[in-house]
Amino acid sequence: MSLFTRSTKEIAFRIDEFFDTIEIGILIFKEGIKAYVRGDSNAFQNHLSKIDDLEGKADRLQRSIENDMIVHSILPQQRSEMVKLLWQLDEIIDTAKKSLNEFYVEKPHVPASLAQEFISLAEVSGNSAEELIPAARAFFREPHLVREKLIKVYFFERETDKAAFQMKKKVFHEMHDLSLAEKAHIRYITHHIENISDSAQAAADLLASMAIRQML
Amino acid sequence: MIFLFLTSGLFLGWTLGANDAANVFGSAVGSRMVSFTRAAVTASIFVILGAVLQGSGASETLSRLGSVNAMGGAFTVALAAALTVFSMTRAGLPVSTTQAIVGAIIGWNFFTNNAVDTRSLTQIVSTWITGPVLGAIFAYVLYHLVKITRRKIRIHLLGYESWLRVGLMIVGAFGAYSLGANNIANVMGVFVPSIPLETVDFGIFTMTGAQQLFFLGAIAIAAGVLTYSRKVMETVGNSLLELSSEAAFVVVLSQALVLFIFSSASLSGFMVRLGLPPIPLVPVSSTQVVVGAVLGIGLYKGIRNINLKMLGSIASGWITTPVAAGLLTFILLFFVKNLFGIDVGQSVNPPAETGDGVSTAMIIRYSIPVLLLITAVYLIYLVLAEKKKTERLNKRYYE
Repeated sequence: MSLFTRSTKEIAFRIDEFFDTIEIGILIFKEGIKAYVRGDSNAFQNHLSKIDDLEGKADRLQRSIENDMIVHSILPQQRSEMVKLLWQLDEIIDTAKKSLNEFYVEKPHVPASLAQEFISLAEVSGNSAEELIPAARAFFREPHLVREKLIKVYFFERETDKAAFQMKKKVFHEMHDLSLAEKAHIRYITHHIENISDSAQAAADLLASMAIRQML
Repeated sequence: MIFLFLTSGLFLGWTLGANDAANVFGSAVGSRMVSFTRAAVTASIFVILGAVLQGSGASETLSRLGSVNAMGGAFTVALAAALTVFSMTRAGLPVSTTQAIVGAIIGWNFFTNNAVDTRSLTQIVSTWITGPVLGAIFAYVLYHLVKITRRKIRIHLLGYESWLRVGLMIVGAFGAYSLGANNIANVMGVFVPSIPLETVDFGIFTMTGAQQLFFLGAIAIAAGVLTYSRKVMETVGNSLLELSSEAAFVVVLSQALVLFIFSSASLSGFMVRLGLPPIPLVPVSSTQVVVGAVLGIGLYKGIRNINLKMLGSIASGWITTPVAAGLLTFILLFFVKNLFGIDVGQSVNPPAETGDGVSTAMIIRYSIPVLLLITAVYLIYLVLAEKKKTERLNKRYYE
């Protein structure tokens, strides 16, 4: 029984570590975008390297949690949902890493007039994912609080959609000096930043249904 | 020869072990919270302990209902009950070993011209209603307490699950003990008056004749648990009770408490000392108590979660099972007595022309309408409550 308790504690600790990793990854992503837009390539490189490490760590934690849950038969009834939730959370840091990598590889041209919009978009999209983490933590201790914590996730997701829409509209309707290729590239990069909040929303939906089932 | 006559009781014990162990550990094993081996070994040990240490109370009540005074009669009564349970289970009909054995004993009473002890019958029939009702009340209250406690202590879900796992093992052991204590009467109760075994002294403890029979019956139950309950636990056990682990914990605890209450002579004596009426020591259907407990949780979650078919299955089991077992016993006794020439029992307590003699008919005349009335009132209440809730939801939706 002591062995079982230890493994349970270890998994609970690793779940917390996984959440920490995602949370830090989102902060790094936001800082990375800011660094790119401001043209600080050293800071951007630094953030890119950090998020790469964090994404790898999140993957390893995700796999070890899933593995131990099966081996020690932990949460047998909610295991498939738990695995899905971990996957969905991991998807957030994956998307964040992919976005920064795309900035690094494709070096999109961000006009000065769009710099603030880009930073704001990354901020709200990141906020959406950031607000998901307290809700995910609450699921394990206070499932009745999950729903109210998720309200902010949905709010920031809607704000991201609005910000992205405004930015695309501005690019295609007002910035006539940009070529079509540049416009399409900005639209493509914008879409990637939006994906973070979309992933957060998908995870929030799953978390909400899991919390409801816990409360019944 | 005694062992040959006991085979029908042992068969009944085996079916009880194979089917009813799922009520205790089904949801825990089905949800893989507890491994089958651990569940089966625990259930087997505690069923035997419960039967030997605390099985006499419910058995005495069954003996008062009809003291089957010949081994041939006891064999036939147990066989008829076992066949009724077996065939009704195969046909997918709701069935209870307790109700089958009661019907079979009444069938023996009719065949051998013995009066039915109306007091015992009333006690037994009343527990068929109070058992599931108590199960529902316990489940409702315990589930509420579990939910409140969890919210207050803010325990991590993983830690909570590991505590529940330990809890499921403990309440499972308690459930198995109560099952053995309460339901051993169904398996061996009819043999107690006809097979008077001598008390055996083992030095540190003694075993009465009845306890020896209960031990044999409990071994048969344990054999049923170990050999056949895996399939039932992993399939029927889980599909019947698709519950969360905390709900499963509450259901098993409620069932164990109800079965314990109806088999504990000490608890009954304590009630008497307090100046309250004694608790009847009667075999109760574990399946029906479990269904009652599940309904209790359904009530807690809201009236919409109640499956009315479950209620119907309980009510129909009150009538169909004893009638089927009684008829089968009557027919089998006729063949055993007239075809094989085996003594199936004598009339030692013939029904009187007036008074107690007509009491069986009186009981049937009064108790069945009362049961139906209670069920009807409850169903009307559920339908009205459902309607009210639908109206409220519609109103909120259109507003």
